[in-house]
Amino acid sequence: MAPQLRLNAVAFVSPQNHPILIRTFEQPRQDELKYHYIAHTSLDVIDERIQAATASKSTDCYLGLLYVEDVAVYGYMTPLKVKIIIALELSDSIVRDADVVAIFKALHTAYRRSVANPFLRLNVPTENVTDHSILVSAGNSRWQAFRKRVDEIGRAVGGFQ
Amino acid sequence: MTAQRVTITYSAPPAFLATDHWKQVYAALLSQLPLRNLHWKSATRPNIRTIQELDVNLVSAEAKQTEHTSQIPQTVLEKPLLSAYIVVCDDTETYRNTVKKQIKEWHSTVTQRKNMEWLIIHIVRPDAIATSGRMFQMKASVLDKIKADFNVEKRDRCVELVWAYDSDYENPTAWADLIGKLKDGILCAFDAAVAQREEEVKRSEGQRQMPGWNFCTFFILKESLANSYEGMNLYEDALDTYNELEILFFQVLREKNLSWFGTLINPAPKDDSLPLLSHSKKPYRDLILANTISVFDFRTYLLARQCSILGYLGHVVEIARKAVAFLSAFGRRLRDIEEILPTHFIESWTYSSALSVVEQCDAWATGLEMNKATIASFNAVKGELVELARHQLDIIGISVGHLPNRPPFSMAFPSNSRRDGGTPATSSTQRISKSEILMALEDKNAFYKVYIGITNRAIELYATAGRRKFALKMHGDLAALDVHRGRLSEALQTFTSLPAHYAPHGWTSLESYMLFQALGIHTAAEKPRDREWIFILLDFLKAYVQDLGKELLMNTEDHIEYVTSLVQALHEATQEAESDLSHHDHPAISVSVPNGQARTADNRDGALLEVQVTNALPCDVPADEVIINLTGRDGAKLTFLENVKSLKPGKNAITLFCHSATPGIYSLHSSQVRMSRLSLHWLHSSTPPPSSSSASRSKKPPTLVSIPRDIRALDVRLRQPRRMELGTPARIVVAFNTGRNHVTRASVKLSAPSGVEFRHNEATLIDSEAGEDTFVLSDVEADKTVYVSVPHSDASAFHAMRVNITVEYTTLVEPDVNRSLTLVRVVLTSLPLAINVEDFFRGTRLFTRFTLSSTSHQHIRLKSTELRATRDDDGLKIAKAMPRSRTVTTITPEQPGKFLFQLDSARGQDREPLKLHIIYRVLREEVESVIESAVDSSLSESVSLQQYRAELIDTLVQALEKDASWVNRYEATGELIVPGIPVQDGEVGEALAHLIETLANPSSNQEPSGEWREIIIPVDVPQMHIVAAARLRVLSNPFNPDAVESLPPLFAGQPISALLTIKASFHWAPAEDVEKRSYRMRYDIEERTKDWLVSGQKTGEFIAEDDRTFTTSVTLIALHHGHLILPKVSVAALPIPGEGRMKAPLIPSCETYQAHGAEAILVLPRGGRSTFVVNMGGE
Repeated sequence: MAPQLRLNAVAFVSPQNHPILIRTFEQPRQDELKYHYIAHTSLDVIDERIQAATASKSTDCYLGLLYVEDVAVYGYMTPLKVKIIIALELSDSIVRDADVVAIFKALHTAYRRSVANPFLRLNVPTENVTDHSILVSAGNSRWQAFRKRVDEIGRAVGGFQ
Repeated sequence: MTAQRVTITYSAPPAFLATDHWKQVYAALLSQLPLRNLHWKSATRPNIRTIQELDVNLVSAEAKQTEHTSQIPQTVLEKPLLSAYIVVCDDTETYRNTVKKQIKEWHSTVTQRKNMEWLIIHIVRPDAIATSGRMFQMKASVLDKIKADFNVEKRDRCVELVWAYDSDYENPTAWADLIGKLKDGILCAFDAAVAQREEEVKRSEGQRQMPGWNFCTFFILKESLANSYEGMNLYEDALDTYNELEILFFQVLREKNLSWFGTLINPAPKDDSLPLLSHSKKPYRDLILANTISVFDFRTYLLARQCSILGYLGHVVEIARKAVAFLSAFGRRLRDIEEILPTHFIESWTYSSALSVVEQCDAWATGLEMNKATIASFNAVKGELVELARHQLDIIGISVGHLPNRPPFSMAFPSNSRRDGGTPATSSTQRISKSEILMALEDKNAFYKVYIGITNRAIELYATAGRRKFALKMHGDLAALDVHRGRLSEALQTFTSLPAHYAPHGWTSLESYMLFQALGIHTAAEKPRDREWIFILLDFLKAYVQDLGKELLMNTEDHIEYVTSLVQALHEATQEAESDLSHHDHPAISVSVPNGQARTADNRDGALLEVQVTNALPCDVPADEVIINLTGRDGAKLTFLENVKSLKPGKNAITLFCHSATPGIYSLHSSQVRMSRLSLHWLHSSTPPPSSSSASRSKKPPTLVSIPRDIRALDVRLRQPRRMELGTPARIVVAFNTGRNHVTRASVKLSAPSGVEFRHNEATLIDSEAGEDTFVLSDVEADKTVYVSVPHSDASAFHAMRVNITVEYTTLVEPDVNRSLTLVRVVLTSLPLAINVEDFFRGTRLFTRFTLSSTSHQHIRLKSTELRATRDDDGLKIAKAMPRSRTVTTITPEQPGKFLFQLDSARGQDREPLKLHIIYRVLREEVESVIESAVDSSLSESVSLQQYRAELIDTLVQALEKDASWVNRYEATGELIVPGIPVQDGEVGEALAHLIETLANPSSNQEPSGEWREIIIPVDVPQMHIVAAARLRVLSNPFNPDAVESLPPLFAGQPISALLTIKASFHWAPAEDVEKRSYRMRYDIEERTKDWLVSGQKTGEFIAEDDRTFTTSVTLIALHHGHLILPKVSVAALPIPGEGRMKAPLIPSCETYQAHGAEAILVLPRGGRSTFVVNMGGE
């Protein structure tokens, strides 16, 4: 029985901890709150991990299993400090980190491609190029492409099989 | 199960073992235990393992042999690793005879044993050594003999223990050798045993794919290794072994090769409540051996073993983390077979296990020294465990109906699981055993108590761990429970305080969820919809309109309806609010100015501005007023507003009106939407942010709004008065034009930033009431201009004066509207003319010459200059030398104008100053009025062109400004040739062409129309004590000066008699000096040595009296012939000594003129003959 990962939800959070996008896949409507909570609470654990990583001078983007709360929550931080959080369906088999990292890499790529959209900066003042509001606007409902990309990854991971 | 310890057996002759001596040695030996710092160098491991401390069992060989041995692989420590033989023999003879044999017997048995080392300990007394040393025994010692007899390999297995009854037990040197040998022996035997066991394990694992291979058997075998490591305190190795076993288990699981296990679970009565991490709660090993262990038990056992080893290592965080993962993951697995489990088994098991793990971890953690970060993560992971337990309560609570089946409680259900919330049917007849759970099932209040207790415990743990966000979530759960229990005020308090934690980082989804809850509770509690409610609602709407805000609202379909009802309720609440409320920067509505060009209102004063109000809510928002504020220069503020009923979703275009719109450029400062007593504010201008945190508010360029000039609006202009009189207070004329308005009342206030003060109370003109700092005009009809003259303080220091005009007025049409107009005007204060005066006295007459010149580059047209006496009865006769040729004179900076006046007065009167009236205008003004009148007369024929009046005037003026070639011609002839106007088509072009022609050919010689300005300059009548008229008269007969004969011919070189007369007049003497009758004076005839020789009294003094003539005669000799001018005579008054109080000489003013100044005398050449010889040439 090959381990079949099920991706329940994805959250992107800006370096300033503003939510960029929170997507759930095929989850009951009333569980939306749960995944928003997970995205939010994970930030505490990510902070702990970042501190530990800073102490050990680790530069790994993958932050590993953050915690387990009836789903397994994994964290990833891009070099530009955008946090990606995924909730995998809990399984009793061993989940290989490589598989999880692969999902993160795909999500990161989706994000990068979306942020590269020059029109995100349409109404943003020019002097502050690192303004997180640009990043946050990538997940804005006006920018559908990012959602589509993330949803595709959700499908590809096998969330809908 | 306590770990097997390392065993060392000892043997000795039974007789010795019975002695006290041995007992002492044994006790001393025990005191050296446990062994410390063992270094195990294993061939299969890269690193040396260091065992810090090792407990050792020291037992006699007989006792050990009685233990039975089983077939089941036990630890390698089960058998003794070392066997020691104790020899007490000082005498080589005795040794040779008896002891050697004993040792040999023992040796033969121990060397047969596998994986066991042996050691011979020779106990000697210290005095024995000393004795033997003293006696210089040449024989080998007993120890040497033992070594020689038994040390067959290189290894030295014989050791001497120097033992004294009374010696210090603790003396380490005495023991060092023995202890070293013990360690070596143990490690050596252990290494061999482990190597052998590892070999067996490897062999067995290699046979995994073969039929008949049994995981359980293998597990026991490999576990023996782990137990051995554990016994040797090699916990890392033990843990590694268990981890390998776990991995293999999962591998086997994947291969579905689970035939050795019983079922997944055989729930035993107390399974759900026993401590998870106890590996002795069931005979696990027996179950494994019997192949009957269930997966549940097996996994529990494996976890318990791992955790207990981790406990030895002090890795409590790791234990808790493993437990959470296991409980969650395996609990999930158990869900698949929930129907065969006792009711609530999983929940009860998870609950008890999680809490028991916390307890166990705390027990292990006592005495552990942990750093701050570790303590935090320990608390965090304990929090996770407690939260996991809490989730079980959620599930139980929902299934028995203590809790509602909705978030946040229902979040505890695993995703994709049943959601009905009911108790699942089960085939099991067993019951769960956890008393807390059982009680909670029965009793609602007990349940809540447990629930709250557990939640608070989790909150506390998370708080100490620094996991604020987890704690927040827990608080939200408690609040939700409060809601369910009807404790609404507590719940409301929590739900109103929670959003503030989610708002700062834009977690609007959670924020809006909390606010949604708060609103719901507010309604349920039937609380009054007060200020607090309004602010909660506004916060909710704020979160709602943001991107994530809608995601968590329960019913997607009707959230629009819900929001609509909220907005409606908000409207009602704002109407009933007791005081005004304001809210800043609400994102639901935004106001922008899409086009910065305002329009003028057609029929009234003021401006209209289109604004766009964007309503981000999905429903109509009732509103009363939309207001925007603009700021202009010098702090000018404009307010545009319009009453509205509601704002529909999306964009609303609304035209705002400002009744007092001063034309100019403004920037958008703020906007406001009023809904009854609630006003929403937005600040647009980029005022410097108070802190750097709001620096993210983008520095957008300001929105500019331009307000056009309304030519029909009320207007106030300033100008210099037409008539200026120097020396009187300066005045300024306010031209108040009503435009289209019938003004019922207007107050005008002038102020100048330069500090010039306006005396409003002295303002003069019709209908004006003067106030202290304003003047008021009442009832002025439309299209009427009222001129008000306002005196002001001296402003001559300035070239121009800037005046702020504030007009507040009401009109007849809109009596309720108080308009206010703020204008800034600049008015020139300097004169365009400069005036110079020169005076010439001639007896009783005075000639005054005024030189007028232009101070600017402008040409000035002078209509007339007139010198007037202030009083008619002055006896002053003024005559003007007036060129009659033309009526208007032009002066330019290069070409000043001179004007001469003659004054004739009676003597000795106080003379009032005269006034010079100058009527003039600047050429530009004149030409402009010429053009205007020409345009007006031209347009009077065509109504349709009226609208182009300003344009036509502008075109002409601009053309004249560009090229000055027309000036001279115009000034001379009045013909205005407008240069450089391109021919245009159409009505305007025709009109223009017509105008140009009219201007070039003025209809008559009339003076150009337009207004003239007047300057009145006061001129003092000059004063002079003495006016002297000096005259040199050539006498025809020197002896009869009075003879009036024609002059005889005069010749050069001939003496000529001349009479010098000086007539003095005191006519212009100042009035105060009129009584002075005479002055001493001195005359001096000028030497003109080229023309004249003067003979006689050239210089002399005389007494001058009014109207008397002083006469003296001189003789002149002309030096050459020709028309010669007589020498000048200068006359000066001598100082009057000592008259002043200060005894300073007083010099009377005196002016002399040469009465003969214009006369010339013909001097003939000297008589005689001159002979000229002219050579005619040619010999």
